[in-house]
Amino acid sequence: MVRLIKYELRKHFLKRSILIIILIFSVINAVKIQSVYQGNSYLYKDTVWNEVYWQLYEAYSGSITLEKIDQLLSIYWPLEQQTADLTASTAMDNPNTYTGNLYSDFYLLRDYYVRPMEYAYMYRYNANEIVRIAQENMDFYSEIGNEYKYLENEIIAERFSGRGIDDFAYMEMYQYYLEYDFSALLVLLICLYGLVGVFVSERESDMDAVLLTTISGGRKTVIAKILSSMLFIFAVCLWFWLLDFALFSFSFGSLEAADLPLYGLKNFENTALSLSMGQYAFLAAIIKTGGMTVVGMAFLFISSVSKNALIPFAANLTLTGGIILQQEIMAGSEYVLAKIINPFILVSNSELFKEIEFINFFDTPILSYVAAPLIAAIIGVILIILLLLTARVNAAVGR
Amino acid sequence: MNIQFQNISKKYKGKYALKNFTSSIENGVYGLLGANGAGKTTLINIFVGILKGDGGHIIVDGKSTHEIGLDFLTYIGYLPQYPRFYRSFEVYDFLLYIGALKNISNLQAEKRAKELLDIVNLSDAAHKKIGALSGGMRQRVGIAQAMMNDPAILILDEPTAGLDPQERIRFRNLITKFSGNRIVLMATHIVSDIEVVANQVILLKEGCLIKQDAPDVLMREIEGKVWLVSANDNNINEKAKHMKISNMFRENEHIQLRVIADNKPDATAVSTPPNLEDVFLYYNSEGEQW
Repeated sequence: MVRLIKYELRKHFLKRSILIIILIFSVINAVKIQSVYQGNSYLYKDTVWNEVYWQLYEAYSGSITLEKIDQLLSIYWPLEQQTADLTASTAMDNPNTYTGNLYSDFYLLRDYYVRPMEYAYMYRYNANEIVRIAQENMDFYSEIGNEYKYLENEIIAERFSGRGIDDFAYMEMYQYYLEYDFSALLVLLICLYGLVGVFVSERESDMDAVLLTTISGGRKTVIAKILSSMLFIFAVCLWFWLLDFALFSFSFGSLEAADLPLYGLKNFENTALSLSMGQYAFLAAIIKTGGMTVVGMAFLFISSVSKNALIPFAANLTLTGGIILQQEIMAGSEYVLAKIINPFILVSNSELFKEIEFINFFDTPILSYVAAPLIAAIIGVILIILLLLTARVNAAVGR
Repeated sequence: MNIQFQNISKKYKGKYALKNFTSSIENGVYGLLGANGAGKTTLINIFVGILKGDGGHIIVDGKSTHEIGLDFLTYIGYLPQYPRFYRSFEVYDFLLYIGALKNISNLQAEKRAKELLDIVNLSDAAHKKIGALSGGMRQRVGIAQAMMNDPAILILDEPTAGLDPQERIRFRNLITKFSGNRIVLMATHIVSDIEVVANQVILLKEGCLIKQDAPDVLMREIEGKVWLVSANDNNINEKAKHMKISNMFRENEHIQLRVIADNKPDATAVSTPPNLEDVFLYYNSEGEQW
């Protein structure tokens, strides 16, 4: 089987055209990530801010203490008062400021220190509030006998219990990295291109007939095709996820905040996960790879039932457009099942982890991020079974 | 080895492509001869398992192919019609891949591939991409891949179609080389290929077996039915109107017609020894009309 897999990889994936596409897409990805940094971070747009930010960072990063907060506010509040009536000078030559201007100092401190630190400091209180309300709900639903809602609130209370953000760190890199989906689209297109010919090319080269007349050319080869396709998907995913991480770290010039909890990011304040950002990045990459594998199996299945390359290419392109569109339409929807039934949600998965959402499975609440991979796994297994069932067998021997 | 085809049938859209084909073959070269659509490829495809027959059995040494199971595939080597294989593979690697498909160990496959490349005179092209080979070279790769497992049954579907005369001769010689102690079943509509290499001819017409015998027996059977008729430009239209013509050639002012007919077709007709092409036309066609 290992030999067959090796040959399948050579036949379909270790091709110059695929390597060139991966290279080109990697460059496009690098440009895109740089544009994310340039378009969103004021630390890029203003070199003085960048310099000042990292000077202050020494003083305020790490554990959030009352002392640090007092020190920060002792600078910030006067600035807030001085700029409140908008009469301060706009000249950039004030020697008594960090950046040369009061407004500039104010906005830098507000956006990069005070608000993030305030969010972090208040998170514990907000989380406790959520736990309290969830417990009240539990009592209420217990009284009226609504077991399902009781269980939902029990999970919420349990998930938010004991939460707090104790440290402050530069989070811009993770903020954009963890919601970056452009590379997923590139991976999807590479997989589409790579997988479309896995079965069809055998027909086009008349090798399907030869394969059927050999001992390992039937179902064993189909299994080898499935496994080699998976390896290809894993490799492409791994390359792009590593590239994303490396390029984001390089562009933003930081690896800070890997140990901070995921809910340290405002966009993930209601996440059900209690992982660190670094752990989440790893989990998200695995989930994305899983989602891509399921979508890849769909590409393979379409390839296996098609007679020439054009049909599966068009069909797979349509499928790609369809699943992306479905996800766009369902984004933020309350129809959780309709949202998570699409395996693409695993590929572009931040939507899955930002909020606590449940699906009702026989009156048991299942967290959507648990249900989505399970549903995708079921779809994947069904597709693999279909691939095996629809694979041609040698009619003379019936296998 | 003995193979019996018992009532093999196949219908496409209600029309028989193969009808109750029954035959028995043993070691030797068998030429499966028939016009386009006679059922040659259908028979081969059913035999190698690419196609499911609508009825009948194939018995190999007393056991049906279903009973033999996957082991049946170890008996066969198959070269399909117009194979293209993988253009990006080198010849040698392609043979190693076929070795893997045929469950041959890597070491054995390497040895066998080198041997075969030597036999088919492709050692120099071992590391050439298949896409860069000529049609004839590709066919030689085709027969080498079919021979990788040293099969007891070698099945070749139109192996010489599209080859230039030199490559055809080379390929026919390869068939003879490989034919020792095995069954070679070769479908073709190129009669001369069979005439040279086949021990037996299986004649198919519209899905039915017409004749199966040694070429000289078949030729003997139509002795006295092949004639040379002399004509000229003035009377050829009249003479040739109702004749089954196997061949015609010009000799100065005269045109010699090779005619297949049960009875003397013309007063000038002279009987001539039949060849296999005559046999093919005798059973298969209405003959070429002038």
